[in-house]
Amino acid sequence: MLPNDKTKSSLILRNILKYIRPIFGILVAVYIIWRLYLVFIVQNLYGPETWTRLLISGLIIGGVYSLIAIGYTLVYGILLMINFAHGEVMMTGAFAGYFVFEAAKSINVPSVGNPDLVFANAYPVLSILIAFIAGMAVSAAIGYFLEKIAYRPLRKAPRLIPLISAIGASIFLQNAALLLFSPQTRNYTNPEILSRGNGWKILINGSNVTLPYTGVFTFILSILLMVALLFLVKKTRLGKAMRAVAMDKDTAALMGIDVNQTISNTFIISGALAGAAGVMWGLHNGMFHYFVGFIPGIKAFTAAVLGGIGNIPGAMLGGMLLGLVESIGPTALDISYQLKDVISFVILIVILVFKPSGILGEVLAEEKI
Amino acid sequence: MNNHPIRESFQKGLVFAIIVVFMMMTGFHLIAATLASKAFGVYVLRGSIPDVRFMGYIHMLFGFWAGWSASGRTGKTSTRIFQGFAAGFTTGAFVALFDLLLTFLILSGTDIREYLSALSIESMDYFLLNLRQMGILAHLGIYTATGLIGSALAVFLRSEPVQHGWQNLKSSITNFTTRINETLPLLVRKFGKYLTYLVLLAVLVILPTKWGSYMNFVIGLVGLYVIAGIGLNIVVGLSGQLVLGYAAFFAMGAYSVGLLNAPEPHNLMWGFWPSIVVAILMAIAAAFVLGLPLMRLRGDYLAIVTLGFGEIIRILLKSDTLTNFTGGPRGLNDIHGPTLFGKPFTSDVDYVYLIFAFVALSIFIYNRLQDSRTGRAWLAIKEDPIAAQATGINLQKYKLLALIIGAAFAGLVGGIMAARNQFTGPNDHSMMVSMNVLSLVIVGGVNSIPGIILGAFALKGLPEILREVENYRQLAFGALLITMMLMRPDGLWPSSRPKMEKGDYSQNGENITNDGGKNA
Amino acid sequence: MKKHYLLSFVILFAVVLASCAPAAAPAEEAPAAEEAVVEEAVVEEAVVEAPVCVETVCEDADVAAVSAADVDAACAADAYGCAVIDAGQTVKIGMSSPMTGGYADFGIDAENSGLIAVKDACGYAGFSFELVAEDDEGGAEGGAAVANKMVADPTVVGIAGPLFSGASAAGIPIYDAAGVPLLSPSATNPPLTAMGSAVFNRVPFTDDAQGAAAADYMFNTLGFTKIAVLHDGETYGKGLATIVKSEFEGFGGEVVVFEGITVGEADYTPILTTISASAPEAIYFGGYSAEGAVLSNQMKSLGLEDAVFFGCDGTFGADYLSLTGENGEGSYHATPKEPPATDTKANFDVCYESAYGIGPVVLSPFSYNSYDCTSALIAAAKDASMLGEDGKLYIPRGTMVDAIRGLTDYTGISGTYSCNEIGECNVEGPQFWTLTGGEYVKAD
Repeated sequence: MLPNDKTKSSLILRNILKYIRPIFGILVAVYIIWRLYLVFIVQNLYGPETWTRLLISGLIIGGVYSLIAIGYTLVYGILLMINFAHGEVMMTGAFAGYFVFEAAKSINVPSVGNPDLVFANAYPVLSILIAFIAGMAVSAAIGYFLEKIAYRPLRKAPRLIPLISAIGASIFLQNAALLLFSPQTRNYTNPEILSRGNGWKILINGSNVTLPYTGVFTFILSILLMVALLFLVKKTRLGKAMRAVAMDKDTAALMGIDVNQTISNTFIISGALAGAAGVMWGLHNGMFHYFVGFIPGIKAFTAAVLGGIGNIPGAMLGGMLLGLVESIGPTALDISYQLKDVISFVILIVILVFKPSGILGEVLAEEKI
Repeated sequence: MNNHPIRESFQKGLVFAIIVVFMMMTGFHLIAATLASKAFGVYVLRGSIPDVRFMGYIHMLFGFWAGWSASGRTGKTSTRIFQGFAAGFTTGAFVALFDLLLTFLILSGTDIREYLSALSIESMDYFLLNLRQMGILAHLGIYTATGLIGSALAVFLRSEPVQHGWQNLKSSITNFTTRINETLPLLVRKFGKYLTYLVLLAVLVILPTKWGSYMNFVIGLVGLYVIAGIGLNIVVGLSGQLVLGYAAFFAMGAYSVGLLNAPEPHNLMWGFWPSIVVAILMAIAAAFVLGLPLMRLRGDYLAIVTLGFGEIIRILLKSDTLTNFTGGPRGLNDIHGPTLFGKPFTSDVDYVYLIFAFVALSIFIYNRLQDSRTGRAWLAIKEDPIAAQATGINLQKYKLLALIIGAAFAGLVGGIMAARNQFTGPNDHSMMVSMNVLSLVIVGGVNSIPGIILGAFALKGLPEILREVENYRQLAFGALLITMMLMRPDGLWPSSRPKMEKGDYSQNGENITNDGGKNA
Repeated sequence: MKKHYLLSFVILFAVVLASCAPAAAPAEEAPAAEEAVVEEAVVEEAVVEAPVCVETVCEDADVAAVSAADVDAACAADAYGCAVIDAGQTVKIGMSSPMTGGYADFGIDAENSGLIAVKDACGYAGFSFELVAEDDEGGAEGGAAVANKMVADPTVVGIAGPLFSGASAAGIPIYDAAGVPLLSPSATNPPLTAMGSAVFNRVPFTDDAQGAAAADYMFNTLGFTKIAVLHDGETYGKGLATIVKSEFEGFGGEVVVFEGITVGEADYTPILTTISASAPEAIYFGGYSAEGAVLSNQMKSLGLEDAVFFGCDGTFGADYLSLTGENGEGSYHATPKEPPATDTKANFDVCYESAYGIGPVVLSPFSYNSYDCTSALIAAAKDASMLGEDGKLYIPRGTMVDAIRGLTDYTGISGTYSCNEIGECNVEGPQFWTLTGGEYVKAD
């Protein structure tokens, strides 16, 4: 038998570690149950309409996170790389969509009953479609150039190096947007059929609960894109090439796959997804600016890790879970709303302690030794 | 295949055109021209536009650069010179296209500053050298001409006779220095290293009293970040764990010193030295609590969790619920500083000495750690965790130890910063601080003390001095990070250790840009 | 082959355009090319009625030199000594503000106003003034760094700032030691003037005053008895909200929810939902317009249609208006006293717009304040300056400090200021406005 590190310190540590996980888990579970009991049984402040609203909010916030997380997890799964600039790619998509809508609202297409009709309201579906295409195209292009300039030359370098490059790219893109477009917060002008704040009204407990149009659109879009991406990865040749490159770059090259092109395609797709997320952000949240991608980028990464990094349904699940925790958590646990991010991160830590590869498990490129 | 060099020149020309157009759209051309103007000694008031010839110089500079970089190193001379011409012309052509757009905007009086905030009429006019439509042709001419000149110069400087002369010059300089080295007395040569240290020490002691409080402030800041960098390097470089929330440990240290030394909210006034000990202990405790459940996690998971931890600490410090304990978003004001033998630290010079002392201590501790059994264990874990486990190293114990020691360094830095600034608040410990320390370690050179010092200077000292290009500072920072990683991924001053351990005892420190992904 | 086509096309296009351009107006021989800002919209065939920025015409008045002995005596008697400006150097007014990051709007707006103030103030005795705006990122570390840099420059005679309270707190000790007077357009945190500083002065009213006034208005004038109070978690917003809460409860009202939100988020529906469960009559918000706009927009669809959004001077502005549209109807805001509609103000508005493409009070509510602070500092510098016989300008720092602290009835664009002994220069309460019909209307 090989000599074992039987120093006293490591023995103590090993003993502590053996018991730390169950103790930690029990503490957290007890705390949560106690707080839930307080809120639901003892105080019972909130009626069903409140909980319904919170649920709707959570799903919508979760939908936004999922949209961003899908792109994040795709790149990570194939290249083992944290693409810190993903949030900024989303921001460029938001700007592109904004310009389309600004143009659409300035073009006058007078009709019989409505002399002031603008293009955006005369052809709303077309406008939205163009906005999405523009946003996705711009973001895809940015993703492509990002990979080509900042990541490709560093493919063989130790993992820390592309990470710093990604951080640099993120800072560069943020400040480029700041200098080009000024720090002014801008607002999307939605076409009237999709105006923010309007939605289906449900009567619960005497109060009108709104199910916003834009929110439902976000949710459905994220599911659609996730399904589309899964289809792409599992059933198309491109997807097969991506999986092959993820498994073993060199062998894939030997099999005739153009590794560079495949990786570029991955970034293009990831960029397009981010672009769609950006346009959706603008349509639903309205306001955006040069810094809008940073925090959602971090949250999306958290969501992706939560659900299992590299795992596309996992990113969706992680996003939803994160959104729900942020929305319902503070109220259900009677914790200050300011601490919602604390709750999210604690949940992340708890899950990682018990299942280090995320809820649905990770789907990764083989780690190169 | 003769088309290829020309096609490359076109591509390079296009790239330069994009850079120039981007520069104009962000308003940087005004800054560049201002810098050029200052370089020529013509002073420009803030907010005013420099003389138009400097814009011309900037255009010429870019054209020259395009031509220079397009000119190849091999092939027929005429082709190489033509490459510069082609690149310059391409740049000029695309810039001219852009100029068409600008001229249209100027002549129609359209103000699109709501969308592109830098495109004021003066700015556009200035870019066009105040020539409006003629500016289009002027640009074309300038870029083509300077492109040609650039490539011609490049060809000339790369030609045989010039290169030969350059090599001769270099070898004669080397000969000269070796000869001087040989003629030095034996004593000096043997103790040269210690002599330099002595001189350095004298300089470090005398200079802070001479060069003014602002330089002391900057140097102090750099020193603190060096200590932080060394601490982070222990975690990231020596033991290979990526930690993104390092600022959390700063916060522990800063708030320990702050809460124990500020009149509000608690008015405890324990004094600086006991507080620093508490600061380090608190940071260690935080690292222990954080690290214990997480030592099994893979690298990138640890990264996001530590990032989250950093944010948790910051949010908690700022929150309403803990305001009575931590002072809330207002932070802690009027933190009292250290007293040494009854004399309070009133001047910045005292602080600088203190920081220098701690820097020296950190370097000492770092070197001892690196050579110790623990350091060897870390190296083993970093290189190959499975093999390390097979030789009986307890992974968790050593990883946790690295995190704790790194956190201790951060706690120290946080505490000193709080006392020096007499103020600390939750916004001082944000994610950007963690990113900054990480960047300076990697840009300077992982596992290399001179590298970390250089990195701290570059990333913290330089921007303080370079406030001229204010708005563009961050942009340049981002671009710098990318460029550094592309050109010198081993850092500005790479560690010489890996080479030595592989049996290569060469002294010239040539760096290897990739080593097969072994270090992560 | 294709490249040749491209080439010839480009050349052809350029030639055609050059020949077809309208008889170009003669290139403006800009007078005094060194400093003038080109006045746009005057030369071309632009709209004739567009208001034009009227620049101050600078006259070089003769200034008598002061004898060397008098200069030495004045400087020796001064507690901080004199700032010496050599011939050819400029007299600098500094600015410490966030110019990068999330609050860059404030710093950029302040610099914009300050630059106009410098142009309008002209020079003195052949010396011109220069604005030096440095980025402090709105925080303490930056505030201290900028302070150190400013005091190390001997030609800086005053600071029109710092803008943010956090940066002020960190910088005040440094400025105090060097004798550089501060006149802040926007640092409203109450304890700043209680630090015992001789150099810190500020123009806006404090949060204490605004909070008390807001609580009084809501309880007594609008008759609310049940409100919710939100803040953005920062020094300014939270300070304001805390004061409103305690004052309102002091009147006998009920604060059903007191919570903080996180800046920069886009979705505050969860906290608004929780608030709606308690059905308050109004929501008071301490913070800035971006978050205020999000709250106002999202309130409407969460059962809070009838609740009134009551903001502060941080939420006032064209920003809030454009971001909320009709969702902002009926909301309340505060401003630092209404700037009286004078010709100076109207001209300033035009100059600002023509120089920067957007109007004042868009990026931040403190545009006028920044202009006034910069102008006041320059005026004080001119008063205190002594032109030495050697051609250098001597400005006793202690005199400057006292001059700013002793500012009496100084008339700026945003009003008339007088500073009291601790540096509060504007103790009049806020003016409340309500948004009606897409416009800000004074509320009584």
